[in-house]
Amino acid sequence: MQYLLRKSLHGLLLILGVTLVSFILMVWFGPDQTYTLIGKNASAEQIEELRHQLGYDQSFLKRYADYLLSLVTLDLGSSNSSGEAVSRILARTVPVSLALMIPGFILGNLFGIALGLSAARRRGQWVDRVIGGLSVTGMSISFLVIIILLQLLLSTPYGLNLFPVRGWQVVDLPSYLYYVTVPSLSLILVTLGYNTRFYRAVFVEESGKDHITTARAYGVPPAVIMWKHVLKNSMVPIITRIMFSIPLVVISGSLLIETYFGIPGVGKVTFDAITSGDQPILKAVVGLTAVAFVLIQLLTDLFYRLVDPRIA
Amino acid sequence: MTASNRIWANLRRDRSGMTGLVIVMAFFLIAAGVWLGLLGQGWSLADGGRWEPASAEYWFGTNVLGQDIFQRAIFSVRTAFDIGLLVALLSTALGAVLGAIAGWYSNSWIDGSVLWLKGVLDSIPFYLFVAAVAFALQGKPWAMHVAMIATFWTTTGRLVRAEVMKIKSRDFVLSARAIGLPDLLILARHVLPNTSHILLVQTSIAFVAAIKTEVILSFLGLGVQDGVSWGLMLAESTQEVLAGHFNNFLSASLMLFALLMGFNLLADALQDAFDPAQVSV
Repeated sequence: MQYLLRKSLHGLLLILGVTLVSFILMVWFGPDQTYTLIGKNASAEQIEELRHQLGYDQSFLKRYADYLLSLVTLDLGSSNSSGEAVSRILARTVPVSLALMIPGFILGNLFGIALGLSAARRRGQWVDRVIGGLSVTGMSISFLVIIILLQLLLSTPYGLNLFPVRGWQVVDLPSYLYYVTVPSLSLILVTLGYNTRFYRAVFVEESGKDHITTARAYGVPPAVIMWKHVLKNSMVPIITRIMFSIPLVVISGSLLIETYFGIPGVGKVTFDAITSGDQPILKAVVGLTAVAFVLIQLLTDLFYRLVDPRIA
Repeated sequence: MTASNRIWANLRRDRSGMTGLVIVMAFFLIAAGVWLGLLGQGWSLADGGRWEPASAEYWFGTNVLGQDIFQRAIFSVRTAFDIGLLVALLSTALGAVLGAIAGWYSNSWIDGSVLWLKGVLDSIPFYLFVAAVAFALQGKPWAMHVAMIATFWTTTGRLVRAEVMKIKSRDFVLSARAIGLPDLLILARHVLPNTSHILLVQTSIAFVAAIKTEVILSFLGLGVQDGVSWGLMLAESTQEVLAGHFNNFLSASLMLFALLMGFNLLADALQDAFDPAQVSV
């Protein structure tokens, strides 16, 4: 119980922090919206009225509290450019992004674990060295280059020309696979080098521990040792890795992939908001994703507590 | 044999590490040539035809505006080093200072605040953070640098903090405190120098991260505003490759790959040379 309280307090402080940073950057220091929003030939009273609506005559604390309240109640205002309610935009686009990013994210980690296991099992042998060399190579290729290359190879007449160059007209499973394959492959390739290397290091470290040596001495087959002892005991770093890569891979990745492939997810919406300076969308996306990520961390902590009694 | 001699000997034996070092040095020489005004100066001159193939005059052909792609790719080496060096040095320095202070005063409110700041910055998705910083700075060209320095320090900070917590209970630190040296002096003279292996490796890792990030940010329109970079060349090439013009794409991506590979190999070798027993993550 005390643990739960301490963790919640920690999470609360982080949430205050991330919302404070996004508030300061985008609301307090953000550009003055008055003249973007108001029509031509506005009277002094109209300007005053709008500034009051936007809260520019309020104190720092009052405006921060209003921002927090808008995040909690999901009353996020509406887009400057389309006038659509931000909460409706998010409800429409977030599912698209999840459908787009989840397969590649999961497969990238699964392949990383598989390659990490096979390298760790044959530590120092040629398999290990080949996998290590390929990982460093993968880590040295830019995300953008991977996307362009895969698009060339799979979606254009210069290559196999099997998939669409861009777009997202998903109605059923075949059309989903048709549009999701190239983005997913890009995501897998860009994460695979880092994942493999990380998981290999985790497995190598675990394999060096005493209980593994004992199991080996008792003649437990190597495959059983790898699956039952090494993999299972490495679950905590694996889960931590997966959870902590969510903001970088899933959210930042969707910004690039959706912009590149013209997919109407939350990343594309955010990109458009960046280029047009659409403040209501930006502050909602930044604030909400950061809060969501803190909650994910909190849940991960609690989850450890459930699966591993050693963690206090 | 002194510690640095031993490290150098370890490094010398590491063939891939030496390859990395040679690659990085070669690129550094090119960057120096551009800084001195000897190389790549014609990068913005549009005197060729549109999308000319490679020739004796235009080694890598020309782009849509008739600019020399070879000159642009060479000048971009300098852009990469400008961004990489600035971001890597400042973010590592920031991480060293904050990490050392947090580790020295561990479990105090100072430590708590640094950890809280690290937690906050790690929780905001990076590109969104850059977007927010760019929004706040209203399109200033250094918004990208500020955002990278403000977030890249956290890994260095975590590693240095852990190392300082170990070092501060060692005898030489205890003696320094016993004879009454001020905390700041002990930190600067006796503790931080003992974290230099972490700082060196982290600097090369941050350099790689900065160059890779520049590419994505430039494509998204949040990166290099004027001048030329591999990121801008790749952004240009995204439409061209569909029309069969590959010169921009090939020259930018191959040079980018070579430099990143060099730095990655070097970072690995440094890690191994400093700490042969440790499993690198």
